Amino acid sequence: MSEHEVVAAMLPLAPSGALDAQEQRRLEEHCRECAACRRELEIWSGYSQGLRQLPQPPIPAQLMERTRTRLVQEHAAAADRRWDEWMLGALALFAWTVGLTFWFVARIVTGGELVIMGANLVRFGTWSAGSTVMVWLTAAVAAIALGRRRRELRRAL
Amino acid sequence: MILAAAMNPEAFSGAQDAIVRMRRGDPDALTAVISRYQHRLYRYLLRLVREPAAADDLFQQTWLRVMEKIGRYDARRNFESWLFSVAHNLAVDAWRGKRGESLDETVDFGEAPDDRLHAGHPDALERLLDFERGAMLAACMQALPGIHREVLTLRYEEDMKLEEIAQVAGIPLSTVKSRLRRALEGLRAAMEARSPGRKGA
Repeated sequence: MSEHEVVAAMLPLAPSGALDAQEQRRLEEHCRECAACRRELEIWSGYSQGLRQLPQPPIPAQLMERTRTRLVQEHAAAADRRWDEWMLGALALFAWTVGLTFWFVARIVTGGELVIMGANLVRFGTWSAGSTVMVWLTAAVAAIALGRRRRELRRAL
Repeated sequence: MILAAAMNPEAFSGAQDAIVRMRRGDPDALTAVISRYQHRLYRYLLRLVREPAAADDLFQQTWLRVMEKIGRYDARRNFESWLFSVAHNLAVDAWRGKRGESLDETVDFGEAPDDRLHAGHPDALERLLDFERGAMLAACMQALPGIHREVLTLRYEEDMKLEEIAQVAGIPLSTVKSRLRRALEGLRAAMEARSPGRKGA
């Protein structure tokens, strides 16, 4: 590749300041001797200038207001989601507490033995396994319901 | 004027302050930041996606994403680069969602009104006013692939450094340079095609 070809490839970038110092120096040195490259540089400068002065597109009506409204709606939806999640956690905790309390009460009332179908329900292991299943089932139903609500909110937004 | 505002130290300091307040959840600060960047962000998105309705929607989505991620924004990083990179990623996602379209796509807009008006006049360009030339440049730019429109608007309209463009588009610096050169060559070819016989139109 000749020096002329190398510099010619740099010419489009020169007016936009996209060349490094070494490339810029090389280009300037070559352009001092080469009228064709000087002419090309002028043309590319014209493009650079033209691109900086392109007609500006009008901004759509109420874009900012619409954006703000959407942000407020999304913020409210996010707050709802956080509340839902907090409630879900609180309900799970409440369910565990109630389950544990009932276990204590059931143990006192039944004297520590309540056998149904061969299983002692007031044994800690059986009771906590049963409670866990119940809590997870409730949480799954609640999560599905909340997920549906969230999707509806997103569609509405 | 936009550039002048960006170069104004007081305006810059005010913007930084608004960004800090926005991170704390101040709604007035958010309004100030949106107001400051609305023209530039909308223009960038419009150049990228070409359709005003799509640019409008992406503009809103960008601010939603900004609010979602502002807590993770590193204040040492240039906010503009970060904001435009958020917009870039959303635009790319939107593009991926559209079948058969990509940022590499070129569009043939056919004969432009200017061509029809001036067809057959060899000295047509000499009679073009600056505004008309700008409109023609903008029309030719529209026909370039999205990745080329993006580097042109970021470099010339947003006055971003090549390093900032690399951050926004998530590409190496060398790729920014090669894209910029190809974009300029494509633009010139399109301008010359619209004005046959006028090399360097």
